[in-house]
Amino acid sequence: MSEGRHAQGGVRFGMVIDLDKCTGCGACSVACQAENNISFRPDESNKLRSITWMSIFELNNGGHYPDYKYAFLPRPCMHCDSPGHAPCTFVCPVNATTRDENNGIVTMVYPRCIGCRYCIVACPYHARSFNWWDPKWPEPMESMLSPEVSTRMRGVVEKCTFCHHRLLAVRSKAYKDGTDPDKATYTTACADACPAKAIVFGNLLDPQSEAARLSKDPNAFQILKKLNTKPKVYYISAHDWIRKLSDNAVA
Amino acid sequence: MNFGRRAFIQAAGGAIGGILVSPLPWQLAADSAKWSQNWSWRPSPERGEITRAAGVCTMCEGGCAVQVRLVNGNRAISIEGNPANPLSEGGICPLGASGLQFLYAPYRIAQPMKQTGRRGDISGLKPISWEEALGELGKKLGRMRAEGKSRELAGIISNSASSMSDLWLQFFTSYGSSNLFRMPSAADGLRLAAQLTTGKASPFAFGLGNAEYILSFGSNLFEGRGVASLVFAALRQWTREGKRSVKLVQVESRCSMTAARADRFVAVEPGTEAALAMGIAHVMVRRGCYDVDFVKDKVFGFEDWSDNTGKKRRGFKNLVSSAPYTPEEVAKVTGLEAAKIEELAEEFASRQKALAIWAIGQADNVNGAYHHLAFAALNALKGNLKPNGLVSLAPAVPLAGLPPVQKDPGADESAGPPGLDVVRSGSAPYRRYGFYEFLDDVREGSKCSVEMLLVHEANPLYSIPENKLFEQALEKVPTLVSFSSYMDETAAKADLILPDHTAFERYVDVVGIPCAPFSYYALGAPVMKPLLDTRHTGEVLLRLAGSIGAPVRASMPWKSYEEYLRFRVQGIAQSRKGAIADKPDVPIIKLSSAQSVQPNYSSGEELWKKLKSGCCWYDAPSPVAGFETASGKFELACRSIGAEGALGDDKLYLPHFAPAELSGSESEYPLLLVAYKPSYTTVGYLPTPSFMNKLIPDKVLQGGDILIELHPQTAAELKFAHGQRVFLKTTQGGAAVRVNISEAARPGVVYMPQGLGHWAYDLYVRGKGANANSLMEVHLDPVGLMGTLLPCRAQLRSEERGNL
Repeated sequence: MSEGRHAQGGVRFGMVIDLDKCTGCGACSVACQAENNISFRPDESNKLRSITWMSIFELNNGGHYPDYKYAFLPRPCMHCDSPGHAPCTFVCPVNATTRDENNGIVTMVYPRCIGCRYCIVACPYHARSFNWWDPKWPEPMESMLSPEVSTRMRGVVEKCTFCHHRLLAVRSKAYKDGTDPDKATYTTACADACPAKAIVFGNLLDPQSEAARLSKDPNAFQILKKLNTKPKVYYISAHDWIRKLSDNAVA
Repeated sequence: MNFGRRAFIQAAGGAIGGILVSPLPWQLAADSAKWSQNWSWRPSPERGEITRAAGVCTMCEGGCAVQVRLVNGNRAISIEGNPANPLSEGGICPLGASGLQFLYAPYRIAQPMKQTGRRGDISGLKPISWEEALGELGKKLGRMRAEGKSRELAGIISNSASSMSDLWLQFFTSYGSSNLFRMPSAADGLRLAAQLTTGKASPFAFGLGNAEYILSFGSNLFEGRGVASLVFAALRQWTREGKRSVKLVQVESRCSMTAARADRFVAVEPGTEAALAMGIAHVMVRRGCYDVDFVKDKVFGFEDWSDNTGKKRRGFKNLVSSAPYTPEEVAKVTGLEAAKIEELAEEFASRQKALAIWAIGQADNVNGAYHHLAFAALNALKGNLKPNGLVSLAPAVPLAGLPPVQKDPGADESAGPPGLDVVRSGSAPYRRYGFYEFLDDVREGSKCSVEMLLVHEANPLYSIPENKLFEQALEKVPTLVSFSSYMDETAAKADLILPDHTAFERYVDVVGIPCAPFSYYALGAPVMKPLLDTRHTGEVLLRLAGSIGAPVRASMPWKSYEEYLRFRVQGIAQSRKGAIADKPDVPIIKLSSAQSVQPNYSSGEELWKKLKSGCCWYDAPSPVAGFETASGKFELACRSIGAEGALGDDKLYLPHFAPAELSGSESEYPLLLVAYKPSYTTVGYLPTPSFMNKLIPDKVLQGGDILIELHPQTAAELKFAHGQRVFLKTTQGGAAVRVNISEAARPGVVYMPQGLGHWAYDLYVRGKGANANSLMEVHLDPVGLMGTLLPCRAQLRSEERGNL
C-alpha cells in the first residue's frame, strides 16, 4: 500500500547524519527538548525513564587503551519506511501512531494513546519514551513552553516527530502564498542547531536535495537494515569499525 | 403473566442492542478518555505570534550570535543560533540552547537580600529594597574609603572579556584598590607565555582555520564551551570539501572526546605533555628539521647567550640536546615509546602548516609557565610566529578607552596599609595572575586584610580547583557582597546580594574570542523586560560610583550602561577598522594578517544599530610584528624571568619540563587523580541546566552517585567490579564514588568529571555526585604565580575495608 504511494507523493522526509563530523556535543538533543516541550525531572540518570527524542549513543571499537576509539551516534526516530507499516504503527491497537503516507513521517496522536507500550517493545531503535509521570515544570519554567507543540500527559508514549509542526507551518504558508504545499521544505530543530553541520534534513525523493545526495554516499548506511525496517535516517562514516557496528543492536 | 426463558433472552438481547445503538457507551468511552488523559493541569502554553530577537550568548566566552524566540514579544521560549553569524553559521551548543532555563530558573534571586542571621543560613537572607541595598553598600564603601581603607576592597569577576570587566577595573582603580581578580583560566598561561617570549601582554592565538596539521597538547577542543564557537567554525572549515583536510593529533593521558575524535591519539602519562614537546624539539634540532632562517634572525636564546652581567648562559639548543630530552629519556617520563616520539617529531617537522596548540578549549590551567614555553618553542621552531604565521597574538578590539582615573587622597599609595599586590616580595616578576596567591594572603591574614569582597558572575566557592582555599579565605572577610543572579554556593554565603539581570534581560557585549587570531566584537540588547526585581550590575556600579565621591564619579561619567556601551562602540567607529559581518559567508576563520578588511559602515550610529541587530564586528588578525622583548626577538631564553644574573640555573630562563612535587607519599596514595571537564556539565558560574542533565551518561552519574573512570587492569588489581562503591581519597579530601571500568582510562589513573556535586541551587542541580574541585591540589607556578592544576596522588579503597 505505502510503497505504491511513495512514488505518487514524491515526498519522503529523511535525515543524514555524518558521524565523522559529530563531536557528540548534544546540541541536537537539547534543541529538540526546547523545541518540543520535552519534560524533565530532577534525576535524569535512569535512562529507561528519561524522555529524549534525540539520544546520543556512544559507539566504540572494542579496542584496548590506547587503541580504544569511540564515536557518537545521535538517534532520532528512524521514521521507518517499511512497506505497509513501520514496526510501531503495525502493533498500535488504537491507531495512535501512524505514518503519514504523504511525507513518510511517523506521527503520534497523544490523546488516542492508551499507554499499552506495544510500540516501545516493537521499536528496534529504542526511539520511543513513555510518560511514567505527569510532566511538571518547576515554577516559572512553564513560561518556556512553545505553543507550537502540545504537551503530553501521564500514560502516553512520545517520540521524535521530525518537527512535524514546522512542516505544517511551511505548508500553511505555501497555501497562503499560493505555491505548491507539497514542494514546501523545512528543517528540523536538531539540524538547525548542530554546530558541526553534521545533520542534513530534506526530501529523500528529491534528487536536488542535499539529504538525497548524501544518502547515496558510498559511506552512507542505515542501522539494523537487516530487519527491513527501511529507516529514513542515514549515517555516514569513513571508518570501517563504525559502519560495521550498524548491523548489530547498537541502538 | 408468564415470563419464560425465551422472553428473558429476548428482553436481555433487546436491552443490549438498545444500549449499543444509543450514544451512551460511546459517550462514556470518550469521557473516560478525557478524564484519564486530558488532565486539566497539563499546561497549555499561551498562544500568539512568534518572533525572533537577536542577541549574543554570554554563557561562555565563545560569543555566538543567537536569536531568542518570543511569543507575543514578551515570553521567551527558546534560543537558536543566528544564521547570519559567520562564526556559528546558525549553530548553537547545548548550553546556549538551554540558556532560557537560567532565565526561568527557580533558583534565581528575585530581589536584593540581606543576611540577618549567621552567614550561610539561607533562611536568614531577607528581602530588602534596592534603595536600602544600594544605600547600605554605598555608605560602607564611602566609609572605608574615607578611613583610608580603599585597599581592603577586593573583587572577583568572571574571566570573560567584556566591557563589564573593564568597568569593574575602572571602578576598582578609581576607588583606590588593585585587588580585582578574574577567575583563573587556561588563558592566563597563554598570556603569560606570550608576555615572556614576545614582550606583549596579549595571549597567543591559533590559526586553526589555516592549519593542515594540528598537534594538540591536551587541548580539549571538542569538550565544548570556552572556544566552542571557534573550534566548530574550524571543524566546519576542515570538512568543507567532505573529507577532513586536517590531521589532528591529540596528546593526553585520557581518551577524551577530543582524543576519540582526533585522527591520532598519543597517550602519555598525565601531566607529561610538556616533556613530549621537549622530546619532539630535541629530534627536530638534532635532525636540523626546523625553520633555520626564522630561528637565526628572529629568535633569541636558541644558541648560548650572555646575560647583562656577562655571564655565559646555556641556550635552548644546548638544553634540548642534553640527556633528559633524548627520546629514550622522554620515553621513560611520558610512557610513550622512543620510536613513536621520533616518528611524531618527524611528522610534525615535515608537515606543511603544522601547528602546536595547547591550553585552548575547556580547560583548567594544567601547565606551569615553563610548560607553556615548551609548547610555544615548538611553534617557534616551525617558524609559526612569522607575520601571517599560524600563531599570532590575540588582537585588541579598538573600543574607546576609559577616561584616566583621577587620583585623590583616598587612592593615595602611601596612605593606609599596603595593597595585596605589593605585600609579597617573592621572586616572581609577573604577579597579575596571582588569584591563588591572593587567597593565600587573605587566608593567612597576617599580611593584609580584606574588609569587603565583591563577587560578580563567579562562583569561586564551588568552581575553583581546591575550593576550600576560598572557603578559608572567606572566613577572614567580614563582608561578602554577591551580584549573582542565582542562589549559587557563593551567593548563599553572602551578607548582601544585589542580583544582576540574566543574559537576555540586559545589555551585554563580547570583546574578542580567546585563542582566535581575528578580532571580534558582538553586542546584545535586552530582548525582554526583566522578569524579577533585579538590576544590571553595570548600572549598579555607575550608581555606586556616583555616591562614593567626586573622583570616582568623574572616572565613570555615564548615565546608563547603554550609554557606556555606545561610548565604547564609538571607538571602533573612529578607528575605521574592521567591518560588520552581515552575511554568513565571511571567511572569518580563514582570515590572515595578509588580508585587510574594508569598513562597511559609515558612522558610529550605523555601527551601533547593526551590532544591536545581531551582526558582529570583525577584523583581520594583526601580525606579530616587532617583538617588544629586551632583545627585540622572540625570546626562547626569557630574560625577563630573572633580573640580571639573578637566576643561578640557566634552565630557569628556558622552556623545560618542570614536574612539581606532589604532596602525599606514593605508598599511601599509589594512584593519580585527574579531573576532566566533560561536554555535558558546566563548571563555572552557571550550573548544569536541566536539559543538559539528560545528556549526562549513566556511566558518569547514577542517581546521586558519581562514577570515576578506571582502567580494567587497575580495577582488576584493586579487585573492583564495575559499579562498585569505593572511597576516593587525596591529600586534600575524599569522596564516595562508584567505579566505571573504562578503556578510555590510563592504567593507574583515576579520572573524575568536574561540574557535579553542587550543594546550592535547587533539586534539579544539587545532590548529584561529588565536586572534583574539593579533591584537587593547586600548585603555584614559580614564574607567574598562577595556580596550576596538576594530577594529584590518590588512593581508592572499597567502602567495606575503609572507614568513611
